[in-house]
Amino acid sequence: MKLDFATRELTIKLVYYGPALSGKTTNLQALHRIASPDATGRLMTLETRDDRTLFFDLLPLTFQDQSGLSVRLKVFTVPGQVIHASTRKLVVQGSDGIVFVADSRLSETQNNADSFMDLKENLKEHGMNLRQLPLVIQFNKRDMPDVRSDEEIAKLAAQGREPVYLAVATRGSGVVESFIGLLHLTWSALDAEHDLNRKFGFDSDAFLAEVAQKLGAKKKLPELLSACVGGALDVLRPEEAAPLR
Amino acid sequence: MSATAAEKTFDELTLGESVQLEDLVDRAALAEMTKSFFDLFRIPLKIFSESGVLLADASEPQALYTYLGTLRQARGALQDVVGTVKAINPGRDGEVTHPDATGAAYRIVAISYDGRRIGRLILGPFLPHNVTEVPRSLNELDPEIDKTKARALLFQLPRAREETVAQIARHLKRTLDLILFSGHKSLLTTNMHLSAVREGYRELQEKNQKLQQAYDRLKELDRLKSNFLATVSHELRTPLTSIIGYSEMLFEGIAGDMSEEQREFVRTIHEKGEQLLELIKGLLDLSKLESGTMNMRKRNVDVAPLVEDVAATLQPAARKKGVELSVDIDGPLTGLWGDPDRLRQVLLNLSENALKFTPPSGQVTLLARNTSMEAAADQEAAGFVLLGTRRPAVELRVADTGIGIPNSERVRVFDAFYQVDSSSTREQGGTGLGLSIVKRLVEAHDGTVRIEDNTPKGTVFVVTIPCRRATIA
Repeated sequence: MKLDFATRELTIKLVYYGPALSGKTTNLQALHRIASPDATGRLMTLETRDDRTLFFDLLPLTFQDQSGLSVRLKVFTVPGQVIHASTRKLVVQGSDGIVFVADSRLSETQNNADSFMDLKENLKEHGMNLRQLPLVIQFNKRDMPDVRSDEEIAKLAAQGREPVYLAVATRGSGVVESFIGLLHLTWSALDAEHDLNRKFGFDSDAFLAEVAQKLGAKKKLPELLSACVGGALDVLRPEEAAPLR
Repeated sequence: MSATAAEKTFDELTLGESVQLEDLVDRAALAEMTKSFFDLFRIPLKIFSESGVLLADASEPQALYTYLGTLRQARGALQDVVGTVKAINPGRDGEVTHPDATGAAYRIVAISYDGRRIGRLILGPFLPHNVTEVPRSLNELDPEIDKTKARALLFQLPRAREETVAQIARHLKRTLDLILFSGHKSLLTTNMHLSAVREGYRELQEKNQKLQQAYDRLKELDRLKSNFLATVSHELRTPLTSIIGYSEMLFEGIAGDMSEEQREFVRTIHEKGEQLLELIKGLLDLSKLESGTMNMRKRNVDVAPLVEDVAATLQPAARKKGVELSVDIDGPLTGLWGDPDRLRQVLLNLSENALKFTPPSGQVTLLARNTSMEAAADQEAAGFVLLGTRRPAVELRVADTGIGIPNSERVRVFDAFYQVDSSSTREQGGTGLGLSIVKRLVEAHDGTVRIEDNTPKGTVFVVTIPCRRATIA
């Protein structure tokens, strides 16, 4: 997060993480497609010839709160392939929240787990950990055959701490829900740490509702937020979180 | 600090903190583009960076301004105008038209990128379409002005409708935006390439350094270990070997006949000596496991022969005690990843234990089968939904029909020197080290060991060792 008091600008960094070909870029493309033109800039994709992300994608979104605070969201993806480890480490640095995009297919279970361990490892190297960092998990590709069932995900998600969303990013389904879920968690975490709502007279619910509207969401905010299975949408305050191990 | 683009951090570049027009465009190319605009519309065009540096200038001297420049008072007034125009703030992303004293106007347009102004472009001077008369301000610029000449020159200025100029400005802005976007993109790409290489180099350096440190440490440890082992084996084993050897000789009557009672005493000395030797060996193992210096030579382990070998080793002892020792191997057991010698030790310790606590005509069974185990619980409890999956494993069970272990004791039996019932030690013998060695060996294989009930009586030790994880790396 970067806060510029002089220009009343707040820059927040969100990262879409996950194994190769799980649909991180597709998520960003969907967001870019549906976001209203005054809120989004160009989607920058640094891609290879074979259509996979080489370094990262970057989608800038800008929202103006009634209080006059300009919130600039920089949404990144990382390259999923194992070989791009150093790029992932670089991109994940300084992020304020993570959407982990998992591939729902049973055959991808191990890849999901490996990528998640990789995320934790990379965060650890930057002195961050998932106890403090807002995280939502998205199970993408729900329309594919041989996927983990809704019931199974719900059962596992109920044991976990982070909200889990189901999505078909190619059709844009679940994309906004995951994004709003993460933004909510991220904002709560930043507010808990920096007292932003009070300092800026910021109304976070109104802000989230506006973001949702600018992203063309048809549902109301509470409905969007409750689209997750399992996990908790409330945030640990720093003093409650266990110290770094 | 004059950081070049390549030295900026990833955050600075991507979060738009310090993107500068100068970094994103090539000056020569920008000059070419502005010239082409000028050729097309004949309206002078200047591009300034946010810090006020003139990056491109496409204009021809206008006769009116050249003439006014020859007049002392007018020259001063016009210099002020240029200064004023440069200082005009068009806002973050807006545009402003500013007329000067001659009746001509300037269009000042913000060049913004990613929601921030990074420069200005200034179109003009041009004569707005609606100016048909010479404004009084032009004639009043200088007392010595030649009004007829000024009028003629004024109408030689490039003329344009304000809307047209606004359109031109918009078009220019869009073109520039595209150039800026491409420039930013290639700047980032270059930077990422550099960072990736730098990171790769750093990682290699770090690894090298760690390897060197590990190597130095290992050398030191190796020296210490050798010293320690030499001391222990010399200081403890040598006298012990003498004790065992002499007691054996005494027992065999080499030093003369002994009474039955004397022979019994000597036999006890001999037995306890052997026990002490075992204890020393166990302690050595344990200290190695605890200090992490136990060498594990892990490879694919063929489980079936391992189990059968342990059974064969213990068969004579079992037969002597009248205990039935059997082996049950279920299915082909492949993929177990471990140190076969250490796994053999685990199985042998457990089986010896089972044999020891099983009364005559009891049974001890060694079972092996494929299974799966829960991946270890995560310390941060995050991502359970992704990680809480099972992985294949091999399960080794040693079942006896002995005295059993009460529930409350099942955790503590793995502590070093712990005995469930110290009275049984005297009866059954044993050092109390076997199970703690088993537990540490199993843990060194990422496995688990637990105790279950055997029905109708007895104990089952269940060891689960994971198979090698298939990785995608």
